[in-house]
Formats: sequence, structure tokens, C-alpha cells
Amino acid sequence: MNAFFYKEWLKNRWFYLLSAAFSLLLCLYVTLNLHRLCNLRGAAHFWEAALTKDAIFIQLLHYMPLLLGIAAALVQFIPEMLQKRIKLTLHLPCNYFYSIGSMLLFGLCMLCCIFLLNLSALGIALRSIFAPEIVSRILLTALPWYLSGLTAYVLCAWICLEPNWKRRVLNGIVSACVLRIFFMSDTPEAYNRFLPILAVYTLLICALPFISVERFKTGKD
Amino acid sequence: MIECKHLTHYYGKRLIYEDLSFTVPQGRILGLLGKNGTGKTTTINLLSGFLKPHSGECRIFGQDVQQMEPALRRNIGLLIEGHVQYTFMDIRQIERFYARFYPNWKSKIYYELMDLLQVAPKQRISRMSCGQRSQVALGLLMAQDPELLILDDFSLGLDPGYRRLFIDYLRDFVKSKGKTVFLTSHIIQDMERLIDDCIIMDYGHILLQKPVSYLLENYYQYNFTLSQPCRLDIPEFYHPNILHNRVETGGFLPPEAAEGILQAHGVDYSDFSARHVPLEDIFIGLTGKY
Amino acid sequence: MKHKSILLLAAKAVLTLTTCVLICWIAPWLYHFATDRTHRTPFTLYSSVTGEFASIVHENGQNSYIGQSGQRYTEAQFDSILPMFYYRQLIADERLPDTLFGQAINPRTIQTENFIFRTMPAEVNKKTIPLYPLLESMSGRVDLEMPSDVFRITGKGIEFIDMESNRTDTAKSRLFTDALLRKGFAFPAQIVSGNGTTRKEYDNGYLLTDSSHKLYNLRMVQGRPYVRKIDMPDGLIPEHMFVTEFRNRRWIGFIADNRQRFWVLETGTYQFRQVELPPFSPSNTSMTIIGNMFDWTVILENQESGMLIAIDAGSLRKIKTMKTAQPTLTVAERIGEKIPQLRFLSPLDKKVFPYFN
Repeated sequence: MNAFFYKEWLKNRWFYLLSAAFSLLLCLYVTLNLHRLCNLRGAAHFWEAALTKDAIFIQLLHYMPLLLGIAAALVQFIPEMLQKRIKLTLHLPCNYFYSIGSMLLFGLCMLCCIFLLNLSALGIALRSIFAPEIVSRILLTALPWYLSGLTAYVLCAWICLEPNWKRRVLNGIVSACVLRIFFMSDTPEAYNRFLPILAVYTLLICALPFISVERFKTGKD
Repeated sequence: MIECKHLTHYYGKRLIYEDLSFTVPQGRILGLLGKNGTGKTTTINLLSGFLKPHSGECRIFGQDVQQMEPALRRNIGLLIEGHVQYTFMDIRQIERFYARFYPNWKSKIYYELMDLLQVAPKQRISRMSCGQRSQVALGLLMAQDPELLILDDFSLGLDPGYRRLFIDYLRDFVKSKGKTVFLTSHIIQDMERLIDDCIIMDYGHILLQKPVSYLLENYYQYNFTLSQPCRLDIPEFYHPNILHNRVETGGFLPPEAAEGILQAHGVDYSDFSARHVPLEDIFIGLTGKY
Repeated sequence: MKHKSILLLAAKAVLTLTTCVLICWIAPWLYHFATDRTHRTPFTLYSSVTGEFASIVHENGQNSYIGQSGQRYTEAQFDSILPMFYYRQLIADERLPDTLFGQAINPRTIQTENFIFRTMPAEVNKKTIPLYPLLESMSGRVDLEMPSDVFRITGKGIEFIDMESNRTDTAKSRLFTDALLRKGFAFPAQIVSGNGTTRKEYDNGYLLTDSSHKLYNLRMVQGRPYVRKIDMPDGLIPEHMFVTEFRNRRWIGFIADNRQRFWVLETGTYQFRQVELPPFSPSNTSMTIIGNMFDWTVILENQESGMLIAIDAGSLRKIKTMKTAQPTLTVAERIGEKIPQLRFLSPLDKKVFPYFN
């Protein structure tokens, strides 16, 4: 597994470093902007907006985790499929469960680290303005967005590893429909009850890329 | 070492081959020759486990390739067409990566070959020429030290210098250690320098499997002139090519026997000549120009 | 190899499950998208003048004014039978009577006594932030002002947090906690209900139930805590409470209890009076009350059906009921009702969770 992590790190390090920087900067921008507005208009105005108008102030981050997840999968797996480079990985003397599984685990871990950094930064910055109840509302509202990023990563890996173009399109349609579920409501904390189920589902769909790999191995292109 | 039995494969409805069987003995270098579309890459993919045949089986080291234990792949070295490698790595990183998978990894051999390339240690493979990449691929194979090497079109994209270098190093490595090699290439002159045996494929079946030395010693190219145009449907003569009554064909009969066949068939001819030809001409003679 | 087979089997199972879920969700949605038509619910109110309900029905591109027994009215007649609702039109037409049912009426009294109350399951079931602004009830100013702090109720007491500094005001917190404790309040609170807005004419504070379901009214009067423990009829446990600040100042709030009864809590006496309504729960039924000095029209609607109840404003007894007219569905819509549909957005709460419709 270390070898695969090493390889994936060499391949993707700049993407993940840039993504971490970009996402943190975005979080900083959102929170600094809020600080600035609080100084101009008073924090009470924003407390009232949160309490009475369900405002969460971080709408700018709405689709960022999703886009990051998609980009991570594309950056990681498209090079593997170009010139069928994945044959190199599949030929290694280990079960492809470990090789592909390690690659997926690497991506998921990196995304989790970036997302946790984001949420921590948001939590710390927002706590200086708002009471914990408002901060937890904002973070709980954002959690499904970040989970969608992890799900998007796995689904895109499933699409990229599929050797047949027609199947890729079908997989893409299924993936789009699944990801739609993460964005069905703008109501804050609307996903509180559903989030554990979605998290378990995200773990389960980690098995889907192996269908694509098995199809690749049996030459179904 | 390699045993394929009754292989049949289709791409959609198109039959590639049917009931194909061949073996590759241990310690031999076997080349697969065939025109485009005869199933060379299909065979390589079947052997390397990236294709499931419609029917039949392929066995390496006595194990079905489709069910092979992953650990057994340590003994199979694979060169993918185009010397495909992880281009984001440099030569040190790629060696460090692969070394973790092979207990018998021989770094020294790899770095000796890399020293000849005169590339900077931190130079990425993506910034190397085709020839340099082929040497990196060869170096990795040699460091892996597998019992069996499967090379898919090892000469693709290489200029004559690098092709010669690749062949010389490979042959030296293989022969000194008694390795078994199964390879394909479009450049038959290179194959002639490298391989011991060859399988010539025609559409749907194997035309023949013989040692290269046998072909070089026993195949003749026959040239003669017909007195009048006529069809030459003689089984002993392969793909006769007639241009302005001048016939070029080939076969495995000695010149006297070949002339005897012509006379027995009542062919009115003159200026008969027969000679040995290189492997490339043998291949074209056996499979035809078109 | 065994692990590989199990993994692939699991992967295929997940894919099958995903596909089935998506089909159950999207196929019926597409069907409804293609076949559903808009159905307008007629506007209906109880008329004390006629003693029955009267509706505005949109038919053939025009409005028709129809009584419950089928009587048809002109628009002007319709205004007359609902004088409390259309009083401004009647004033403009100089048709507003001086008295009605023996009581003197004028625009001012009508405006004061008229009220509209609305509650919807989505609002009732919504997860709110447990921070509440406690307005000054008696500032001496005409307009209410938003406070600079909000309160939360914990297991130990009530805490006020200053919004600008994001710090707890310990003195104020202590003051109000002691006031609640003196009245026997057992922390933490079960329900906290109030209107933390300045868009009202006066402030009734908050209705709170403590951990033993006892009811309290909390206000801030000239900066000091005002806490009133409210006696409830036996067996009444509030489940949903709505603080009301209508112009008529008759009630502190409306309360729906755990036995699906509906009560009003009177101002001043803090007496409970039950409204004669069929059992219902605000968590799954929307309620609209259009009230005036003589009667209330109560509209209760849930996903299956709807009902109108006329209530006497004085006695809070039921006068009349009427089922809301069911829309005429097309054949395609009737078929669509039978198709089980997987949905993720419940209309009862704005939460996302899968359920079969």
C-alpha cells in the first residue's frame, strides 16, 4: 500500500496541494468577508439573519467540494486510462483489490484531509463571530456538500476506469442522478437524518470501480 | 512455459481466430508474426490476462492466466506496446516504486543501463525520447529478473540505433539466464536477430510454428517466367505473385523438387531461380503482400 | 480469488440497488411531470350573515361566487355576506352597516378584531437554532427594538449572549435564571415558543415548558425578568405552542396538546379555553384561521384531505363544517396516484430523507 500511496503522491501531489490551498483560500475569503461586513453593519444583523432567515453565509462553497472530488478523480484516473497505463498496475504481483483499492483510498484520504481542513478553518473563523449553535448549523449544512465531494470522486473513478464508452455514458447518467440527491434542499440541516445513510452508501459505492476494472481485465472494450 | 489450447475469440461478430493452440517451450525466444488484424495483440492480451477468450484456455507456469495467483506474476515481465510507463516519475522514483513488489529486484542491473542513457537522475520519463523510454522499460524488466517476458511490439517508435541496443541487451540478458520470451514486432528484421522460434499467423489460424533457423535454411523464393499467362494453383507454392508473366513465389521444396512440381503440373516456364531470403521475405511470401 | 468474487458480487448488488432506487425515484417523477395539472382550491370562508360557507370558484376563466347550498351571488352580494373580510370594499361602496348582530361595527374595530393565523407542518417540524431574542415588552416606545443579545436555555439555566461580542452576559443570565428558578422552573426547557421579530405591535414574550411539562410565560419588562407560571387543565401537556400578538390583544397564544386538542390562552387571566375542532396535529396538518369578531373560519389540510370548520368567536364552539372540494383528477392523474413513488423531500418537514409516497 505504501508503494501505491507513493506513486499516487508523485502523480497527484501538485493537484492536492493546489486544491488544499484553493479551498482554504475560498474558506478564508468567505469568513474574512463576513468579518468585514460584521464590522461595517454589526454582528447582530448577521445573527438575526441566521436565526430568522436561515442564512448560512457560506453559499459560495456550495459546489466547491463536488468539483474538487470530480477533478481529483479525473486527475488521478484519466492518466491511468491513457495508453491503457492501468495495465502496469494490474500486472503488478498483487490482487487488484489492493492496487486499485490503495489508489482509491489515497484519493479519499487526501480529499478527507482537505475537507477536514476546510471545515476546521470554517469552524474556527465562524466561532469568533457566532455562538456554537449557529456555527454547528452552518457546518452541519455544509457536511452533505463535502460528502458529495467524496461520492463524486468514487463515482468519477468508476466512470474513468470503465473501458467501454457507451457504458461510461450510462455510468455518468447514474452518477449524475445519485449526486443530485446531495443537493435536493437548501434548507439548513435538512440532511441531518439522512447523512449517516449517505455516508454508508458512499462507503458501499467504493466497490463500483472494481466492476470497471474487472470489465477492463476481461477485455470488455 | 506457455500453453494455449483451442483458443477462440471474437470482437463482436468478427472472428479473430478459432481453435488456436500453441506452446512456448522454456528457455526459447518466440516471436509472433502476422499482418495487422490477425490477432497478435489479442494473443498478447490473452496471455497477459487482459482479455478473456470466448473459449479455450491459456496457461502460464501451468496456471490458467485468468485465475492466476497475483504473486505468480512476479515471474512474468510485461512490456506494453509503446514502452508505456509512469511518465510522471523519474528513473529513481520508478525504480524505487517497482522494487517494492519484487523480492529479487536487481537495482544494479537497472542503474548500469541507466548510466548509459546519460539522463539526469531527476529527469522525468515524460521528458525522455522514445529510445530512452524503451531503455528504461528494458532496465526495469531486467531488474525484475522474471522467468518469462512478454513484449508487445517492443520496437514501436524506436529508431534503428535504439532498436539495435534494445535487441542486443535483451538477447544477452535472456540467453545468459535462460529466460523465456514471447514477443511481437512489426519490424521483422529485428525479430530475425532476436528470436529462436516464430509463429506466423494468418487470418483465423496459425500458418506455421517453426524455429527461425529452419525457415532460413528450408524456405526458398522461386522466380520464373511463364510462356503464357496461367493460374498457378499449386499447393506447394505460397501466394504466387505474377507481374508481366514473371512469377515470384515461395515454398519449402528444394529447387529441383520445385521445378519437378512445375513440370508435373504442365506449367510452361523458363528462367527458373531459387534462393534463400531473409525472414521478412519469408513472412511476405507465406502470408502474401495483401 | 474468493475475496475478489465477494467484492464483485457486492459491487453488483450496490449497483443494482442504486439503479432500482433511481428508477423508483425518477420514473414516477417523470410520469407526474408529464401528466399532473394545476388544481386551484376555491377560496372559502364562513359567512355569519348566511350561516353557511361561501366560496369563490374559478370556472370557465371567470370567478363564480357560490354558497354552500348552491346559491350563486354577484360579486357585490358576496362582499355583503362577508362584511368582516370585505369591509374596505364595503366602505368604498358606502355599504358597510353600522351594526351587525346587535353590535356596533366600524373600520377600527373590524381591523382590531380581524386576525389571520397560519401554521404549516414544514414550519412546525423545522429544526430551529435554539437561540432566541427576548424583546423589551415595555420600553415606552411605540416601535419594538431588537435586543443586542439572544438567550439559550441549558440544563443549568438561561444564558444571554451578546451578539456583538459573542460573549455571555453573566449578570443578566444570573438574574433571569434566578427569576425562573423562583417560579419553580425545572431546567432544561422542553419547548420554547415566541416571535423574535419587531414586525408586530407589542410583545408577549415567550411561552416555555420546563422539563416537567409545566408552562411559563417569560418576558423582559424594563430590563427585568417577568415570569408567570401558568396553570393548565388536568392532563394537558403542550406539544406545540404559538405565541400570538394580534391587535385584539385577547390571547397570549394558541396551544396544541398531546391529545390533539387546540386551546387558546387568554391574556390577563391566563385561562385556557378549548376550541371545538376535530383532533389534529400541527406536525402533519396545516391550519389557517381567518378570524373576526363574530366567527373564525378554520381550514385544516393534510396530504389526504381538507376540512373547513366555522367557530363562534365568543364561545369557541363549532358552528358548521364542510369538506374542501376535491379536485377533479384526469385519468392519468388518477393512475399516477396509484403509482408508488420514492421521494426524498418531505412536504411535512423540509428535510431530505427517502420515503415512499
